[in-house]
Amino acid sequence: MKKKSIVILSVLVVALLLFTGYKTFLSPKGAEGAKEVTIHIINENEDVDKTFTYNTDHEFLLELMEEKQEELGVTFEESEFGKMVVGMMNYTANPDKQEFFHIAVNGEDAMTGVEEIPLENDDVYKFELSNY
Amino acid sequence: MKIRDVALIGILSATITAGKLVLSFVPNVEIVTLLFIVYTVVFGVRKSFLASVVFSTTEILIYGFSTWLLGYYLVWPLLIIVTGLMSKKMESEYVYATIGAIFGYAFGALFAIVESIFYGLAYGWVYWLRGIPFDLIHGTSNFIIILVLYKPMINILTKLKASYYQT
Repeated sequence: MKKKSIVILSVLVVALLLFTGYKTFLSPKGAEGAKEVTIHIINENEDVDKTFTYNTDHEFLLELMEEKQEELGVTFEESEFGKMVVGMMNYTANPDKQEFFHIAVNGEDAMTGVEEIPLENDDVYKFELSNY
Repeated sequence: MKIRDVALIGILSATITAGKLVLSFVPNVEIVTLLFIVYTVVFGVRKSFLASVVFSTTEILIYGFSTWLLGYYLVWPLLIIVTGLMSKKMESEYVYATIGAIFGYAFGALFAIVESIFYGLAYGWVYWLRGIPFDLIHGTSNFIIILVLYKPMINILTKLKASYYQT
C-alpha cells in the first residue's frame, strides 16, 4: 500500500508539472495594458446591428463582457468547457431553432470561447445570431 | 450467443452507463475506463465489445446525436482490444493503470482526429489544445482509480462469474 501511495503521489506531482507547463507555454495569453476594442452584435431576427467601442485594460474578452454585461445584454451559460455566450442584446438564442451566437475575431471564426479570446488593440469581435 | 450472454451484456452496459452518470458532475473523472478494462479481463473481448456498442448507443439516446459521440464507437473498442491483448500476458494492476492513464491522456487527441474529419484539421488542433487540462485530469484520475480498484474488482467479479455465470 505504501508503494502505491508513493506512485500515486509521484503521478500527481508529474500531472501538476505538466499542467504548469501547459499554462506557461500553450494556453492563450492576454495582452496587458490599455487597448481599444470593438464589439459588433448582429441579430437580423430582431433587427439588431450595433457596435460598441471600449477602452479597456482587461486581457480576455469574457472579462470585458462581464463588465459591460448590462449594456451588451449578455447572457452566459456555464458549460463543461467554461462560460458560453447564449444571449446578446437581451435576446437568447433558441436551441430548438438551432440558433447560436457565432463569434468572429477580425472576420475570422473564433476557435475558442470568450473565456480564452485575448483582447488585442483594434480587434473587432463580432457576435452574429446564426443557425447550425 | 446464449440468453445469459445477452443478459450479461445488458448488465455490463447498464453498469457502465450508471457509473458514468454517477460521476458526471466531476469533469473528466470517470470509472468507465476501469469498468471496460475489468470487464475485458474477466469476461473477454467479445462481450466487452458488445457492451461498448450498447453503451455508446445509450449515450446517443441520452445526449442526442453529435459528432463527438461517434468517437465513442472507436475509442472504447480500442481500449478493449489493447486490454484484451495485454490480459493474456500481464496481471499487474500497474500495467492496467498505465493503459488507463495513456488512454485518458490521449482521449482528447483521439476525439480531435474524429472531429477533424468533420470540421477540418484547424478545428481538431484547437479542440485538442483546449482540452489538454481535461486530458491531464482524465489520465491522472484513471491511473489512480485503476491502481486502487482494479484488484478488488477483479476478485469480486471473478467470484461472481464462477457463482452465477459459469454454471
